[in-house]
Amino acid sequence: MTTGAQAAGAALVALVRAARSVLLYDPGNAIVRQFLAEYQAKTRAALERHGELSFEVRPFEMLVGGEVVYRDEDREKSLAFRLFRDGVRRLALLPSVTWEELQQLLMILAVRFAGVRQQEEDLVTLLRKAEWRGIAIQAVDGFTPAEESPEPGLDEKAGRAWRFQPPAGWDTPLPKLPRPLPLAYMAVRDDALAPLRAEGEDEAVSDLALSLARDLLQEAARAGWPRPNRDLVAFFAELRDALLADGELTSLRSLVDLLSEVGGAELRDEMVRGLGDGRTLDLVLATVPEDSARLPGELIPFLPLLGMEAALDRLAGELPEGRRRLLTQIVLARLPREADAVLARLPTMEARLACDLGRGLVARAPERSNEVARQLLAQRDEALRLEGLAALEAAPGEILMRPLCELLRDASEVVRVRAVEVLGRRGDESILDALREPLEAGRATSLREAEALGRAMAEVAPIPAARLFAGWLEPRARFLRGLSPQQRSLQWAAVAGTGALPGTDPGPILTSLAERSEGDLRRHCLDTLARRRKATHVPPCG
Amino acid sequence: MSHPAADELARAQERLGRVVGRARAGEDRELSQKVRELGERVAHALGGLLKMSRVHAADNRAFDAPLEQLSRALGELVELLGPVHLVTVEEEAYVNDVRIRSEGKGIVEELGRELARHNAGGVSFHEALDPGAVRALVGAFAQKPAEAAPRRALQKALAELGLRSVELSPRFRYRLQGEEGSFQRDPMEALRRILGVVEETHENLAAGRVVNPVPLRRQVAEILALGVEAPEFWEMPGQGSAHASHAVTVAMVALLVGKVAGFRQAFLQDLGVAALLHDAGYVSLPPETAGGPEGLARHPAEGARIMLQQRGFHPAKLRRLRAVLDHHRDYVEPRGRPSALGQVLRLAEDYTTILRVHGSRISPADALGAMAGAAGRIYNPALAQVMVNALGRYPPGSLLELEDGRYARSVSPVRAPETFGAPLVRIYDLRTRALSAERHDLALEGAVRRVMPG
Repeated sequence: MTTGAQAAGAALVALVRAARSVLLYDPGNAIVRQFLAEYQAKTRAALERHGELSFEVRPFEMLVGGEVVYRDEDREKSLAFRLFRDGVRRLALLPSVTWEELQQLLMILAVRFAGVRQQEEDLVTLLRKAEWRGIAIQAVDGFTPAEESPEPGLDEKAGRAWRFQPPAGWDTPLPKLPRPLPLAYMAVRDDALAPLRAEGEDEAVSDLALSLARDLLQEAARAGWPRPNRDLVAFFAELRDALLADGELTSLRSLVDLLSEVGGAELRDEMVRGLGDGRTLDLVLATVPEDSARLPGELIPFLPLLGMEAALDRLAGELPEGRRRLLTQIVLARLPREADAVLARLPTMEARLACDLGRGLVARAPERSNEVARQLLAQRDEALRLEGLAALEAAPGEILMRPLCELLRDASEVVRVRAVEVLGRRGDESILDALREPLEAGRATSLREAEALGRAMAEVAPIPAARLFAGWLEPRARFLRGLSPQQRSLQWAAVAGTGALPGTDPGPILTSLAERSEGDLRRHCLDTLARRRKATHVPPCG
Repeated sequence: MSHPAADELARAQERLGRVVGRARAGEDRELSQKVRELGERVAHALGGLLKMSRVHAADNRAFDAPLEQLSRALGELVELLGPVHLVTVEEEAYVNDVRIRSEGKGIVEELGRELARHNAGGVSFHEALDPGAVRALVGAFAQKPAEAAPRRALQKALAELGLRSVELSPRFRYRLQGEEGSFQRDPMEALRRILGVVEETHENLAAGRVVNPVPLRRQVAEILALGVEAPEFWEMPGQGSAHASHAVTVAMVALLVGKVAGFRQAFLQDLGVAALLHDAGYVSLPPETAGGPEGLARHPAEGARIMLQQRGFHPAKLRRLRAVLDHHRDYVEPRGRPSALGQVLRLAEDYTTILRVHGSRISPADALGAMAGAAGRIYNPALAQVMVNALGRYPPGSLLELEDGRYARSVSPVRAPETFGAPLVRIYDLRTRALSAERHDLALEGAVRRVMPG
């Protein structure tokens, strides 16, 4: 292959890669930029060294000077096939081609590669309107009869069953006009026409979209268009998507406001539903520095429009700390209204995030605390189960006792102790047996756990607990071997429990036991007494 | 080629993302997918039936199921698109420009061969066909092709069978732009084509079908490529229906004004399509209210309502809707200015309507002069002057008495400021109303004594 063909082929491959890259990657991805740079560099290099690059397009090949420089028989991927199918037979890049023109060519091809079928124009009308100077296209101009001597037609309008006829008096009455002026040529100032020409720029359609939206809504109301109106709903969804694609958030907000004012709940709800996908959120996030955890004031009106599922999806991925906090704020701001979405995701979330959101749910939707707790208590992560316990502790009204009691057998002592504490605060006499069970079942119970159990028993059922404590305080030691571990746990629990019994003064009992004990038990008695005194101390009135 | 810097690459990347995003917003995946699926069913069923017809008689029960399938798929497609154009070309098949996959079964090639036996390349179905009509169609195709003009003979046979809504088209091939000998662009042919497409569009809209702007845009692009100022476009053969002729005339005037005003090609395409559809609202207004002031007031919004049925975002669609809503709005009114396209359409529409309604009593020059007098109130003054500059002192169609006593019709818009008052004309015989075969350039010969109405 000649060097010219090689260079042309390299430029073509770079064009194909860049055009297809938007299929595979987010357009903002660094790889897309890399492909763009390669497209620009290889095209430039080929043009500078070899002049015009003229590609002949065949169904699966593209040739330069008769040499095949590109071949791909995959109909979905092949640039040659797509160009040929759309009618392009030759594509030439002239040395004068500008970067702007190369970009336009790339964009047309990228849209074709994205499999997008435009309802408004085809490749030929796109190429004709491009007004390129540096790119030449030879394209089929439509189908043409293939017969040398055409057959005469039977009847030009054989198929037409009828023709539409306009009504009598259509487009009248005409406006009242003055007497005719003499006609003379006068140059028109450019600045009088420039604003009109500017309306033809595709870049700025948001004002047009808004004015059209308002007028269509008013016409729909005035003329009594059918409701619900699928066409209007679809039209506003299209506007929404286009404004999103353009990053026109302010216009989008205006559109939603307009719908609220004029369009009624049906259209507004449809519009807001459609905003729930990730693009709105990504656009909003794109306007906030990555290390910032605060949403700028001007974007706060967008909070109700951002999709909860999209935010939770984003939170599920790897994120910088600032972005994680920002997204968490966005999610929390949607509570309690969208508590269901958060609750459904809690079990699958990373522990720290689940804790943050669980805490947020309890704070903003306390009535859902039991559900938060049920989700969190079922998790393997210790921190999540502790958060679930905190949720239960703070929950208003009745709380779930069964899962709490089950936690008394949890593998983690920290969790068991915390569960006992919550049971003590929120439980009643019915759970006394559940609290006794760990102490009496013969399992090894740490002193800390025993202490918590004893206090909880005193809190939920003081009278029966006091009777139990009396038996546990002074166990009968085994001959020469002292107290068994279980007896020691029971005694420890009883000391703590006695200190927590309401009404009864534990002073004499615990002081007596302390005097007869030594070491840890003695200190436990004294500490318990001190805590009791501290808890019941009432400062003098003054 | 200039060398883009890194920030230019970043801008290009951002723009690429926006364009692809916007295009995705404009896609009507549902419709195109449905057309493709139904089109495949129609093409495959028709190909299969025609192949079977060479083995079995048309009344064979083996046809029953595929006849039913074709009838049903065709019915759905007609409901969706209006007329269904099935075209085979170079081993490919298209239904209303959507390519049909053959999945390697050769059925598309088979269909092409069956049509080619009768020297046909395509079939258009203007209405749905019941299974009985499909059986008759298949039976007609199964007959031995006539030796002379076989397509015409088959078309005649179909008409005799009552299948007048089935239209055969010639065999096609892809054509290269600029291909030697085959690319003689003819403005008159382009004018006939655009009239046909507009008529078909109006009929589709009247039947409650969704507007398809692509064929209209193709025709507008063709006129722009030929040059809207070409005299052939201004001689107005008037072969179309009243509504289609009006739409095309408004489009020609609007395109001329837009071009002289310096609108870009893309904007001109949008203007042309909007002009061809600007009165679409009339097709669905009840007859008792469609004419006169009520129809005048209601048809813009009704047109917008009809056009809203087209799915897919595109700036051109927004501009078209805006223009249709605006095309009877005054330049000065409390709501503010109409859109640019609406302002151009207003000029083109009023000019065309004045001549359509009062043409026998008022000359084009007086119509234009009266409109110029309303500039700044009803019309944008800059655009009104552009229109004067474009159509000239003797706008196309003006009946002129020349200094030498002959009469002539103006047939060209302004070619240059210097020839503002000197158009191309054809000599006109007042008695026979015949026009001369050749055009005369008043810039080179002759002078106008006076303008006459009519």
